[in-house]
Amino acid sequence: MAAITALSLYVIDASTAEDVAGRPNFFFDRQALYVAGGVILAIGAMALDLRRLATWAWALWGGLLGALVVVFVVGGAVRGTSRWIEIGSFNLQPSEFGKIVLMIVLAALLVERLDRVGTPRLSLFMLGVAGVPALVVFLQPDLGTAMVYMIILAAILFVGGTPWTHFAAAGAAIAAVAITLLFVLPSQNVDVLQPYQVERLTAFATADRDASDAGYQLDQSTTAVGSGGALGKGPDGATQSINDFLPEHHTDFVFAVTAEMFGFVGGAALILLYAVVVWRGVRIAARAATMFEVLVASAIVAMLAFQASVNIGMTVGLMPITGLPLPLMSFGGSHTLATFAALGLLMGIYMRRRPGTPLS
Amino acid sequence: MTTVPQPAAPRQDSGGGGPTINQSLAFRIAVLAGIVLVALAILLVRLWFLQVVGGEQYEQRAEVNRLREVVTEAQRGTITDRNGVVLVGNVPATNVVARPRELVGARRDEVLGRLARRLHIPLKDLQTKVEGGENTPFQSVVLAENVDPRTALYLSERRRQFPGIGLRETFLRDYPQGRVAAHVLGSLGPIPAERADAYEDQGYTGAERVGIGGIEGSYEEWLRGTPGRVEVEVDATGELVGRGVVASEAPVAGNDVELTIDFKAQTALELALRTQVARHGFSTGAAGVALDPRNGEVLAIASVPDFDPATFSDGTPREVQALLADERRPLLNRVVDGQYPAGSTFKPITAAAALDGDFVEADEPVDSPPEIELYDQIFPNFERVSHGPVTMPVALQVSSDTYFYRLGAKFFETGARQPLQDMARTFGFGRKTGIDLPGEAKGLLPTVRWKKRAFKDSPFQLDRVWKPGDSINLSVGQGNLLVTPLQMAVSYAGVATGKVPTPALGRRVVDRSGEALRSFAGVQSARPVAASAAALETIREGLRLAANEHGGTSASVFSSVPGQFTVAGKTGTAEQLGGEDHSWYVGYAPADNPRVVVAVIIERGGTGASAAAPAVCEGIAAALRYDASNCGSGAQSN
Repeated sequence: MAAITALSLYVIDASTAEDVAGRPNFFFDRQALYVAGGVILAIGAMALDLRRLATWAWALWGGLLGALVVVFVVGGAVRGTSRWIEIGSFNLQPSEFGKIVLMIVLAALLVERLDRVGTPRLSLFMLGVAGVPALVVFLQPDLGTAMVYMIILAAILFVGGTPWTHFAAAGAAIAAVAITLLFVLPSQNVDVLQPYQVERLTAFATADRDASDAGYQLDQSTTAVGSGGALGKGPDGATQSINDFLPEHHTDFVFAVTAEMFGFVGGAALILLYAVVVWRGVRIAARAATMFEVLVASAIVAMLAFQASVNIGMTVGLMPITGLPLPLMSFGGSHTLATFAALGLLMGIYMRRRPGTPLS
Repeated sequence: MTTVPQPAAPRQDSGGGGPTINQSLAFRIAVLAGIVLVALAILLVRLWFLQVVGGEQYEQRAEVNRLREVVTEAQRGTITDRNGVVLVGNVPATNVVARPRELVGARRDEVLGRLARRLHIPLKDLQTKVEGGENTPFQSVVLAENVDPRTALYLSERRRQFPGIGLRETFLRDYPQGRVAAHVLGSLGPIPAERADAYEDQGYTGAERVGIGGIEGSYEEWLRGTPGRVEVEVDATGELVGRGVVASEAPVAGNDVELTIDFKAQTALELALRTQVARHGFSTGAAGVALDPRNGEVLAIASVPDFDPATFSDGTPREVQALLADERRPLLNRVVDGQYPAGSTFKPITAAAALDGDFVEADEPVDSPPEIELYDQIFPNFERVSHGPVTMPVALQVSSDTYFYRLGAKFFETGARQPLQDMARTFGFGRKTGIDLPGEAKGLLPTVRWKKRAFKDSPFQLDRVWKPGDSINLSVGQGNLLVTPLQMAVSYAGVATGKVPTPALGRRVVDRSGEALRSFAGVQSARPVAASAAALETIREGLRLAANEHGGTSASVFSSVPGQFTVAGKTGTAEQLGGEDHSWYVGYAPADNPRVVVAVIIERGGTGASAAAPAVCEGIAAALRYDASNCGSGAQSN
């Protein structure tokens, strides 16, 4: 974890040195501040007894929904989306913290109804609880985060013991909806998704040199990654990143920058570091003192792994471009703080684990 | 919290189970971990293929992104007159170019749409141009030429709004003397598609603008420079990156071409033609050429109506279209492409054929009545005047038609022999003069064979037969005969010197330091005419009388010219269907040592003396530097 964060700070520093004229450390300074804030938040989260929060599940749910709706009202519009609330000079993105709130709510509600797990009625009820905030986030529009919400739901339901058939049904429904939204409706000129979302989601499926803007990003990203070779081009030779061919290189495409600078060696090391984080998370889940904490820990692991896989998958051309940040690597305040908070919760769960179960 | 049931404690091994362990829970956690690890493993494999297996290929792609070849255009050589007066120079200008490879998908229409609004060019035109450049994606496509400085500044300050669009410094042709010599200069344009391969063999990339027509076309190989190439490192918006130039090669400017044209004679002749066209209300145009009979150097070459050559350099497509569609045909260089009946200016050739063929003696008096009957047909003198008995020189002096009709009838009687056509051919008629301009017309020298071929589809056998009237009309420069003004000038150079020179506009090629790389003077060949020296002497005498002595057709124009510049020349009043006669004059001076020959036609200008002769006098005066006020205005005579 510490290793990933340190690498993140280094890469952000090196790749953005010329982005803000005259202030080479602009992004580095800010991210360092976020990390410091994140660490404090994580320590706080460690001390927090999650089980107390569980009693406030509905209140938390209402609060989350309220905060998300507020974004529509007062949120500033950034690049055609309204995800942010300005607090002072810091743009708060409630949907990031919403991930954590949502997993606590879902875990608490499921644990209250553990005897009914497996009934379609409960599964639909849970879908409703997660679906409403996910829908609001989707409308912001932030498809990536909405998908994370659904992954959290899926992880909690799955670990909670929901039968395979429910997931199979959900999978079929999702496939049907996706095909409708991406291909059928656009051909009938009914646009539920933003045009840019359709373009991003379908670009990866078409040829390498796709003739679209999303295709351009994808092309530049795979070029950056590929040109890194086995050992990388070093921080000064990473022309794809430094010369701006790679868009969003300090945020969504930070993995491509890392891979360009440090090659396969660096990229693989980073992926392995994520594997370590995931492994530790899974073990913590297995040793949690309560079912509630097992579910929360599983959701955290699923969330981090999903974001990491989708983000890296996107930069290497395996996944659609969804705008999900890479945990612990991407520049960004809300998501850094939220990630650290989640990790803090995970460590808290470990500290309160069942006696006699050391982690390793 | 009391309702929260405690899960069974899993054992240390999450995959295992135990009496108090919910086995299903442990299994599900393990499955979760498995899915995640498989996903990460897939990413690892993909990374291996991208970086280790495909690394080199992607590295090249990154290089193509990073390095950009900037072509610096070379300055094209200038075109000057024989004394260094610049006729065609260069001015710097800015073109807007596109790099098709960077304009893909939705971005293309978006950027081009923005650009179209700014440049006031239809979006469709821009799209067509970019699509045309897709075959050569790493080369820039010119979208707009010579944009105004404000637009250039606007675009250069907003590179981020116009990705894939760039500015390129270039040079435009500049015409400091305006319309002077417009018809021979030629212009620049894109390489014609049908000749793309030929240009490619000479090292062109295909995107250049090359000389089209005129001197620009004929001397392309000298005028073109070698473009410079600079390889620079750029960022995504095309901005130079600190490390800058990677490799460079400086442009080499083209060489200057010095023409034989004498600016003073050129402007004088142009003015004289315009004046005569304006004076004669029915006139549809005029052409004139002055050349040095000794070597064929063209001192002046003018065609009316004219045009502004800058139209092809910085004019709007609409202005160009208007020029191309103009019914008065201002773009036609009438000196080399205009074909007219010659009229009486052809008589010296008839005279040569008659004298050397012993059809008449030089000093043999022959009656010149108002009209004569030949082969049951009446052939009248001009205005039915009677000259009484005339010798050959006097027949030329007064331009007797009946004298020459008789000779025409005698040529016809020779049957299969065609002495007049044989003579005319050696004076350059019926074939190109070989001037260094593209697309020269041949004219038409009618012969027995020609007539048979030209009318082979006619239903009347009689049309294919060479008749007495054909020979008789040809002897006075009428009938089917067609000549260009340049052919007339060249043939009179033959009269004046005994040799027909190859006319030339190119004199020297000079490099930027002023050193002559190549001189064309004396390179052009001259062919001797078939006429004997005695015959030429007789003809020269006739031409001198015509221009100077009382009764001479053009004496009213030339008799006051100072003695050392005495002019010899012949009027022509060429009849052509559909309007007034064409006014011709061809003359040379000084008569005893010719240094310049000038041929002029004023279309629909009336008689030779009234329109063309004064223009010739002014052309000769300018070329030989004497006072043109000695030129008379001309009287009605053929």
